[in-house]
Amino acid sequence: MTEAGSDEATASAVMSFVERLEDSSAKFYREMAERHPENGEAFLRFAKESEKNKTLIIRTYQETITDALEACFSFKGLKLGDYEAETVLLEKNNIFDDIKIALKLEERANAFYLDVEERSAQLLATIPRAFKKAVETRTRRVSELKEILKASAGS
Amino acid sequence: MTVLTEPIRQVLEIKNFVGNEWVGSKGEVVDVVNPATLKVIARAPISTEDEFNAAVDVAKDAFPDWRRTPPLARARCLFRLKELVEERFEELSRVQTMEHGKTIDEARGETRRGIEQIEVAAGVPSLMMGYNLEDIASGIDEYLIRQPLGVFGIIGPFNFPFMVPLWFAPYAVAAGNCIVMKPSSEDPVSQAKLAELVEEAGFPAGVWNVVNGGRSTVSAMLNHPDIEGICFVGSTAVGRDVVYRKCGETGKRVIAQCGAKNFLLVMPDADIDKTVAACMTSFYGNAGQRCLAGGNLVVVGEGLIEREYDAFYKKVMNAYVGTASKIRVGYGLDETVQVGPLRDKSKKERVVKFIEKGVEEGADLTLDGRNVRLVGDWPKDCFLNPSVFENVSPDMSVGKDEIFGPVTCVIRARSFDEAIEMIDRNPYGNAASIFTQSGRWAREFQYRVQCGNVGVNIGIVAPMAFFPFSGMKDSFFGVLHGQGQEAIRFFTESKVVIQRWF
Repeated sequence: MTEAGSDEATASAVMSFVERLEDSSAKFYREMAERHPENGEAFLRFAKESEKNKTLIIRTYQETITDALEACFSFKGLKLGDYEAETVLLEKNNIFDDIKIALKLEERANAFYLDVEERSAQLLATIPRAFKKAVETRTRRVSELKEILKASAGS
Repeated sequence: MTVLTEPIRQVLEIKNFVGNEWVGSKGEVVDVVNPATLKVIARAPISTEDEFNAAVDVAKDAFPDWRRTPPLARARCLFRLKELVEERFEELSRVQTMEHGKTIDEARGETRRGIEQIEVAAGVPSLMMGYNLEDIASGIDEYLIRQPLGVFGIIGPFNFPFMVPLWFAPYAVAAGNCIVMKPSSEDPVSQAKLAELVEEAGFPAGVWNVVNGGRSTVSAMLNHPDIEGICFVGSTAVGRDVVYRKCGETGKRVIAQCGAKNFLLVMPDADIDKTVAACMTSFYGNAGQRCLAGGNLVVVGEGLIEREYDAFYKKVMNAYVGTASKIRVGYGLDETVQVGPLRDKSKKERVVKFIEKGVEEGADLTLDGRNVRLVGDWPKDCFLNPSVFENVSPDMSVGKDEIFGPVTCVIRARSFDEAIEMIDRNPYGNAASIFTQSGRWAREFQYRVQCGNVGVNIGIVAPMAFFPFSGMKDSFFGVLHGQGQEAIRFFTESKVVIQRWF
């Protein structure tokens, strides 16, 4: 993993971060599904999406990485540590608290994917498109989380 | 800092792979050393001439049956090989980092490029087709078929130990030939790992053989009467004066891809940020050990008055040196590292000598990579940080000769024509690139420059597997190039048949 605070991440470091991000997101949403079974279907779907995102991005990277493009120099000014998010669910939390944590996670993840997509767009083949897909998934997820929050407040 | 897990935990004893068997050697054994850690990771034999000749005999025996195997069946072996390489993608990549020193991104890129060659070669049923014409005269038809020749030799370089042999090997066997490959004795591990997969992929015994060795093995290959042709990648001195010459004397086909001094032009309208990022990879990627690496950065002042040219030059250099000075150098399995070590100490010493020569000749050493600063605590023996020379003239040794290390030589050219003339005066003709947003300059560049691989806003002009890897002048000796359709033509002979039925 790249050191927090480094000002330029390599493609390899970014991919390792993607793996950690999506793995921890999947684990988080599976836990959410257990804690809040009334919305379990949605949370399990999010968990599966995260697993798919990870597979898509890593596969895209592996299938298009070439030593001839700027893999070590494409993510200028990217500090991976800035995108870490809390995913611990406390026992005493209610659904509102947990959704707030989820929204924070999605905000950080979205910021990460937007930033890596923008930085890599001109320099790496195909990989930026995979990042863009992840942004779309996460954006949809935010809307759904807000709906769940609204519905929970209503009831 | 986290270093990815090393796939090689104990010293491997590399053997030769002949007739789908792992065969020991009576020759001397050399250490394969990880240049970042200086630990021995493997031992490989320097095979004897008899051992090489025995491998050729095995390949020759395998040829008739392999030659009669339908191309689609041959292609299926390659499909299976591709799948096996994909399954071991990460392991093979980390092995390359350990044996060569390149970063893990570079190693994965190399693995991917190698896989692409296998994929393209698997298209042999189409690639190997001939052509025909009915009624060349009434009732008489004529057609051309392509037939394999026998046994080919492949000599791999140290700088891309996995990928470069695959510029040739899959095409040779796809076309129905058998091969005897000699990987570099400095980093033969990834080819040994690949040979394990060749056997698993179902290639018949004797089709794909690997004999480890040094100069004596090359000599045996050049002299063997049953080797139909040789594919070589390495220095011009060896490629031209040894391999190409000997092949000419003995009637062998030859592909000899050799040295380079590649010029990258930066025009006044270039996007500087993106140009600099591309140049970092080009000049410093693989620690500069690449025949497509940038050698000379030419800042062109076409259409600018003196004051504007100075300002442009300064802007480019500030961005360039600023970025180069921050490059993180270290062990390639550390994901934060952007550049790894040189392959070994002697290669570092050679580059250091060039740097000393450049200073002697009057170039300005703006960034001195001999001041080694590493990410992590590794022995410094094989490491160099990026260097930048300014005020280089193309006639200085640093401006003319291939350094093969992380050194940028910056040259000023007052006009586009002056830059082209510099490139064409250089004895090498491997690659050249132009950074511009003008279609006019790009077209003019590709039209006039005497180099085989031309880049427009591309720092490393590495052709995809379905294109030939071109080269001109002292960078290439032969007629047909490796990769793609040209490789199939190299590995086959055309037979023309005229037929009439009474």
